Amino acid sequence: MSAVLYVIGLGLMTCGVVLLLIAALGVWSLPSAVSRLHALTKADSAGLSLIALGAACVNGRLDALLALVLCAVLVALSGATMGHLIARSHVSEDEPE
Amino acid sequence: MSMAFDILLALGIVFTAGTALGLRDRIASVTGFVITGLLIALSFVRLGAPDVALAEAAIGAGLTGALLLRSALRLKPAEGSKSPALQRFLAASIATGLSCALAWAVYTAPGTALYPALVSEGLAKSGVDNPVTAVLLNFRVWDTLLEIVVLFAALVLVRIIAPAVPQPEALGELMLPFMRVIIPVCVFLSGHLLWQGATVPGGAFQAGAMLAGGFLVLFMGGLALPTPRVMAFGKALALAGLAIFALAALATEALTGTLLFYPDGDEKIWIIAIESALTLSIAAMLYLLFCGMPRRPAK
Repeated sequence: MSAVLYVIGLGLMTCGVVLLLIAALGVWSLPSAVSRLHALTKADSAGLSLIALGAACVNGRLDALLALVLCAVLVALSGATMGHLIARSHVSEDEPE
Repeated sequence: MSMAFDILLALGIVFTAGTALGLRDRIASVTGFVITGLLIALSFVRLGAPDVALAEAAIGAGLTGALLLRSALRLKPAEGSKSPALQRFLAASIATGLSCALAWAVYTAPGTALYPALVSEGLAKSGVDNPVTAVLLNFRVWDTLLEIVVLFAALVLVRIIAPAVPQPEALGELMLPFMRVIIPVCVFLSGHLLWQGATVPGGAFQAGAMLAGGFLVLFMGGLALPTPRVMAFGKALALAGLAIFALAALATEALTGTLLFYPDGDEKIWIIAIESALTLSIAAMLYLLFCGMPRRPAK
C-alpha cells in the first residue's frame, strides 16, 4: 500500500513540476503582462496543489495532509487575488478612466 | 541528489542577490531581495535550522520586503548615473574581505560541539522542550530583552523622522473576500506559532511577524488605517511588551535574587507570559514601522 502511494506521490509531484515549468516558460515567452499573468496564475496554483498532494502521498500521514492542503489552499487563494490585483493595476495604468 | 539541490540553491542565492544589487529598477531590486530571503530560508531548512528558516521567511523576506517596497515607492526613481567607481570598489572589497574572514573563521573554528551538550543538559529545567526557545527565553533571555529594545529604538527613530503615511489605493471587490479568509487564518496561525514554540520551531518573533502581516493586509485593504485611536492603541501595545518584559526581569530579581532567573518549577508560565506579550508588541511595532507614525496635525 505504502509503495503504491509512494509511486503515485512521485507521479503527482512530477506533473506539478512540469506544470510549474510550463508556467515559467509562459512568463518567459508570452508577449503582454496580462497573458503572462494568465499563464502564471493557473499553472502556478495547479502545479503547487499537485506537488502538495504528491508530498502528502509520499508522507502518508493525515496531519501532514492537512498542513499541505492548507498550504495549497492559501497559495491558490492569494495567487488568484494577487493576479487579479496586478491585472487590475495594469489595466488602470493603461487606460486612465 | 540532495548535493545537486544544495549547489543549485547556493547558486540561486548568489544569482538573486546579484539581481537585488544590480537591477536599476527599485521594485525589481526589492523583488530580488525577497526571493533571496526565501531561498536563504530554504537553505536554513537544509541546514536543519527550521527556527531560523521561519524567522528569515517571515521577517527577513516578508516584512522587510514590505518595508523596502514601501520606501521604494516613496523615493524618486533611481538617477541615471551610477555611484562613483571608487565607492563601489571600496564596498565590494569590504564585502569580499568580510566574507573571506567569515569563511576562514568557520573553517578554522575547533568545532561547535560545546553548546548542544550544555543546552541539552539544562533543557529539562528550562520549562520548554524546544532547545531554541529554551536558549532564547531562558538561558540567554537577556539577549532577547535587548533585541526588543533594539526594535523599540528603531520605532522611536521612525517616530522622530515621521515619514508620510502611505495611502492605500482602492483594490477592487476581490480584496474584501480575500481579507475575510486570510485575516482569521493569520490570527489563528500566529497563535499556533506562539504556542508550538514551546515544543517545536516557532515563537514570539515568528508569531508577531505573522500577526503584523495580517495587520498590513488590513491596512492595504483600507481597513486598519492609522487613525489617532489606532495609533494610540498600537503605541500602547508596542510599549506594553517592553514594559512587561522589563517588569518580569525586575520581578525575577526580587523573587530569586538573579535578574531573569525564573523561580524554580514555574519557568513555563513565565516564558509563555513573556512570549504572549512580546507577540502582540512585536506585531504592533512592525505595523507602526510600516505606517510611519505621522505627527498630529498642528492645531
